[in-house]
Amino acid sequence: MANWVFKGLRIGVKSSAYPRWPDDAPGVSPGRPVNTPLSSTAAAAALAARCPTGAIKGEDGSIIIDHGRCVHCFRCVRDVEEPASWRQGYEWAVQETEADTALRSLARIFGRSLHVRFVDAGACGACMSEARQINNPYYNMHRLGFFITPTPRNADVLLVAGPVSDAMRLPLRKTYDAMPTPKRVVAIGACAASGGIFGPSFAAADGAAAIIPVDVVVPGCPPPPLAILHGLLVAVERKPPAGVHYSLRETEPA
Amino acid sequence: MIASQLLLAFFMLCAAGAVLASFAPPRSLAGLLSVVGSLASLLVLACSGLLLFAGGQVHFFELWSVLTLGTLALQGDPLSALFMAVTGLVFLPVSIFSSAYLVKYSKHHNLRYFSVLYHVLFASIILVFVAGDTISFLVSWELMSIVSYLLVTYESERAGSSRSAYVMLAMSEGGTIAVAIAFILIAGASAGLGFPALQSAAPTLGAPMRWAVFLLAFFGFAVKAGLVPLNSWLPLAHPVAPTNVSALLSAVIVNLGVYGIVRVNLDLAPPTGVAPGLIVLVIGSLSAIIGILYATIQDELKRLLAHSTIENMGIIAAGIGATMVFVATGHRFVAAIALTAALYHLTNHSVYKALLFVGTGAVEAGTGTRDLDRLGGIIRGMPWTSAFFLVGVLSISALPPFNGFVSEWLTLQTVLRSAVLASTPVKIVFAICGALLALTAGLAVTCFVKVFATGFLGMSRSPAAAEAQESPAAARASMALLATLCLALGILPTYVIPAIDHAVTPLAHESATAALVPPFFSVNAQRADNLPPAFTSEFHDLGAQVGHGFLPGRGLVVLHRGDERNPVVFAMSTSYMLVVLLGILLLIFVAMRLLTRKRRVERRIAWDGGLRHLSPELTYTATGFSNPVRVIFAALLSPSAREESTEAVAVHFRTAIRREYTEVHVIDRFVLQPPIEILRRLAALVRRMHVGNVNAYAAYVLVAMLVVLIVGVGLI
Repeated sequence: MANWVFKGLRIGVKSSAYPRWPDDAPGVSPGRPVNTPLSSTAAAAALAARCPTGAIKGEDGSIIIDHGRCVHCFRCVRDVEEPASWRQGYEWAVQETEADTALRSLARIFGRSLHVRFVDAGACGACMSEARQINNPYYNMHRLGFFITPTPRNADVLLVAGPVSDAMRLPLRKTYDAMPTPKRVVAIGACAASGGIFGPSFAAADGAAAIIPVDVVVPGCPPPPLAILHGLLVAVERKPPAGVHYSLRETEPA
Repeated sequence: MIASQLLLAFFMLCAAGAVLASFAPPRSLAGLLSVVGSLASLLVLACSGLLLFAGGQVHFFELWSVLTLGTLALQGDPLSALFMAVTGLVFLPVSIFSSAYLVKYSKHHNLRYFSVLYHVLFASIILVFVAGDTISFLVSWELMSIVSYLLVTYESERAGSSRSAYVMLAMSEGGTIAVAIAFILIAGASAGLGFPALQSAAPTLGAPMRWAVFLLAFFGFAVKAGLVPLNSWLPLAHPVAPTNVSALLSAVIVNLGVYGIVRVNLDLAPPTGVAPGLIVLVIGSLSAIIGILYATIQDELKRLLAHSTIENMGIIAAGIGATMVFVATGHRFVAAIALTAALYHLTNHSVYKALLFVGTGAVEAGTGTRDLDRLGGIIRGMPWTSAFFLVGVLSISALPPFNGFVSEWLTLQTVLRSAVLASTPVKIVFAICGALLALTAGLAVTCFVKVFATGFLGMSRSPAAAEAQESPAAARASMALLATLCLALGILPTYVIPAIDHAVTPLAHESATAALVPPFFSVNAQRADNLPPAFTSEFHDLGAQVGHGFLPGRGLVVLHRGDERNPVVFAMSTSYMLVVLLGILLLIFVAMRLLTRKRRVERRIAWDGGLRHLSPELTYTATGFSNPVRVIFAALLSPSAREESTEAVAVHFRTAIRREYTEVHVIDRFVLQPPIEILRRLAALVRRMHVGNVNAYAAYVLVAMLVVLIVGVGLI
């Protein structure tokens, strides 16, 4: 019965050191392809043709990755003569809007006590599975002052996953409306960023930005838990974003 | 003798009203009833006011002399004057309301019949209060019982009406018989049947006789007062009665029971030991808790209010029980405070219960239903009715600054004063009863939050509730009058207590005004006789005399300091509380305005879970709101669930499920049903004799004749 006290003391702290130090434990991230200079335009076109989601654009002998569409399928690295370079890491969140106005900024007031409302707007379940992990002992979002709340009336941040299926348009809009200002929206996953492999279609929009103003986008399919944590940290300005104010569908960050 | 003339004028007006109602054109009947009833109420109020403030006993009329039984007389004293005043206060607004309410009966019912009964009921109730001897008391009591039965069963085509009214009549008659026996027991030792003669004869009775008188009178009158275990008729009679009659039932007729208890058990035959008082206290506390428990789980508005009447009568009875204990132990000041609390609560209950019933009648007229699960959101259609109903709800929930708070606070303080008693077991009983009363107060808030929140706020649960129409001017005027009374009785206790004190002083042999409203808050006297000068000057240092220049009377603070052994002070002032509450509200308003001045305000719809369409079925229903109470007290309520389902292919392919939860009232289950069951079994045994065979019956005749012959021979 009381064993768990000693067991806990013996094992010690096992939580991730992120964001104080980078976490390099194996398996915390699947990694993702990055912009790669290639030998020829033909090689770039071949890679672009292999990409099932159209995330790769071949231009002048190099490829440019639209991370908002990338689903980490490895088709651009496996069984090809000239593979794209693959980079580990998880600090993927980009900032879509500037959090400069006093009305929109959460950092000063809620930086260390942030209440998050999570909405599944038609996600396949992968993002849910990853988002659930930030609550476990390893990623442990509570040490960062992040909490999940069941009602948007208490929420500061809206965490959205999924391309926003038609049935979830109204609930998502209502959830956003019900949140008190200042509030921010973090869209996680390729679907919420761009529609992913599901949208836009007859039943789904092309991401959360079609319904509500999105502040931070965490790409990845699904984004690993550390990337979601990075997204939340970006939302409260405790970490710099991987890129600022760009459309993931168009260009790579500077 | 202006009071006598006023009383005579009242009886003549009632008679005139009854006669006029028999001949007036049908269309003018409702208006006539309203005018005559209101005028009669004003006469009663004037008469009782004169009587109350004049003090002493007033001999009105001598009716006639009966050989060997003495003279039958009508007389009044401050106690009857107080009850008459409460009756007048209720009859006035109810009569005004009736002119609007009775319109719905004008097509299919005989309003003539109703009008005559209404005036006779009013007269008979006043007769009960001014009866000065046993015979006139019992006769007017019977008249009142029968007329109220006829009024309850007025809509006799309503399902269950006859049976419910019959239960009411049967229980009432049982109570009357018990009361009559109690009177006969006292009268056996007295020279006459007049109350003064009974009063002087009571101390000569032996202990077993005193006990018999107490038990018979208390439980006999408890039927009318609706105390457990004799409360079954109240929740049955209310839903079937016309709503203005319900208001009279709950606000006037139950008071008659309390009047009887006070008259017989405190005035005519005051207790000599603590035991009778403790019995009344325990019965009162149990009534309070059982009443409010069943009120909380009701969804039908009138039945809920009926159970709440049982609760309030319980609180009053607890106050009277405490008075009896304190009188028997000689603690006069505390006895005076306890009786003041009880009578104050009686006044308050009559006023706010009348308001709630009139409000219920208005809601019923506006929407056609009294089921809380079918109401909802009627504040939009009936803003005035809802506002007045809210005043009633706040009052009955005992929230300051309304009147329920003052009397419940006084009652609880009285129970806490049991520390002055010498006997520890008695103190323990008081402590338990105090805890029950406190729990009652808490549940009352739950109950009436439910009523107002699910009935008046939120979404409309039926088309009728959505299209609710504001009630007519007469109903609104009646509710406004009652709501104003609720507020006045709440914020001016220091002027109400001296009025009630006229009735309390002769019974408790001490003035509650002196104990409760110290005079040093005002200009007249700087010194209170029962308070040490150091204490008084301490209050003066705090600024207690502020306002003494312009406030009439004894100031606005109710304060009591115990005796030397237990100098605990309790004090409150709802008047100042109102000022402070309004100040705080204003301050909050100003502060919020200042703080949010520069902010942009966005208005969005309330959070509904993100649903496409929020239907009323998804919002909190009355049943859902009270379900936690139902679950917590399941052991007491003991609900039984019956489930029926129809299956298509197999057990788990159900096409329809019907669940029915039924609760048998705990009193019915444990007190009333067992003897009924025993009687049934006895009847079944006797029935076996009836075999249906002629020869057997001939044998019975033969046997009976033989028995008679043998017994006859034996006797000779």
